[in-house]
Amino acid sequence: MSRRGVGLGAFANRTQATQSYATHGANLRSTHTASLQTQLSVFQSLLHTFALEHSSTIKSNPTFRAEFARMCNTIGVDPLAASNVKGKNGRRRLGEGGSFWTQIMGGDMNDFYFEVAVRVVELCRETRSENGGLIGVEECRKRVGKGKAIGSGLEVSDDDILRAVRSLEPLGSGFSIVKVGSKQYIRSIPKELNTDQATVLEVIQVLGFVSISMLRLNLKWEKARAQTVIDDLLADGLVWLDAQGPEKEYWSPQNLLQDSG
Amino acid sequence: MTTTPPFPFPPTYNFPPFFTPQPNTTTRHAQLEKWSSLIQSWCRHHRQYRLSLIDAVESPLFHNTALRKRLDLREARAVVDWMTKSEEEGGGGRRAEWIPDGPKTVAWIWWRRPEEWADVLVDWVEGTGQKGSVLTVYELIHGEGAMSQEFHGMDTDVMLRSLNVLVKRGRAQIFGGEGQEGVKFF
Repeated sequence: MSRRGVGLGAFANRTQATQSYATHGANLRSTHTASLQTQLSVFQSLLHTFALEHSSTIKSNPTFRAEFARMCNTIGVDPLAASNVKGKNGRRRLGEGGSFWTQIMGGDMNDFYFEVAVRVVELCRETRSENGGLIGVEECRKRVGKGKAIGSGLEVSDDDILRAVRSLEPLGSGFSIVKVGSKQYIRSIPKELNTDQATVLEVIQVLGFVSISMLRLNLKWEKARAQTVIDDLLADGLVWLDAQGPEKEYWSPQNLLQDSG
Repeated sequence: MTTTPPFPFPPTYNFPPFFTPQPNTTTRHAQLEKWSSLIQSWCRHHRQYRLSLIDAVESPLFHNTALRKRLDLREARAVVDWMTKSEEEGGGGRRAEWIPDGPKTVAWIWWRRPEEWADVLVDWVEGTGQKGSVLTVYELIHGEGAMSQEFHGMDTDVMLRSLNVLVKRGRAQIFGGEGQEGVKFF
């Protein structure tokens, strides 16, 4: 049974109650915030220590690096995006300027991603004429991993490549990541693939090549539709033609990369 | 004489469309570049200086028996033709030269151009302290002194052309009659 105040006094009572509830709420909130802040700062310093302790592993082991980066992302510390944000109040804890990586790893981590980005850009430019500006992230990783000169290979993971490409975005580079089927590609020519083109590329991924009749049979496309898509892909340099079989076949040049250079 | 180890073909060689001229000009350009580098490494591997297309179209170079794809004579000629043009003309940087007897069927393949051979020769002469000495062309090509050199066993015509480059640069002098040429390096 709730006690109900009678008469004018009840109004005063109620106001008082509301006020005390509010104060209590505010108290709770601030304690919460305080404890959360403590937790966060503890966590950040732990992360800091962790990164310092394992910095050599982070630098040398791509899988470990990817996991570490993923962890940073989960708690909202984007190693690259954090770079050079000098908020007035923000990042006090991390000291002046420089990115998160720079802070904890002494600068060369950022350089690492820029280095990877430079390699990716080089590779995309070099191979643009053979693959129409579409290059598989996996193939790209292999090539960057190999390096051109002896000893210049960088051991990188797909995640490093993706991160590097994303780090180029602020430059308005026109480099983007597109997903076709289960495979990720780096698109270095700012041009959209339409649904049909993406479908055909996906089929090529699975079967190795396509022909008009294969498309008609498997996708139930009209001849004109299949022909148009193929013509577009050819015109963009995304597929190569083999005319020495019984029917014209169209192949993806993704596997050509290994030899040049 | 040791037998040459098998030529390591690049992955491109097993890419079926490689043997069909590509309709897209950009792709075609990439394709020609790949052919040019393949032909050069093939010739280099076999220490071959001239390439007869009639023979080559039947050799593994232009005929991939595993894929049952081939570059026919006309196509092979188009590739070599592209190689003979300079880069300014949209060609392959003069990495080949038609040997002018009859229709375009035999070509020099310059995996090293005469000027580049000339540099190699100068380096060798200077490195072995033979500046000022006289050598016969035969010695240069077959001599024991240059056994380990890349120009060992070189085509005589190519050697003479490279030497002539040095003559023009004032770094060598050729004397003696045909087949008996001697050369002095300065």
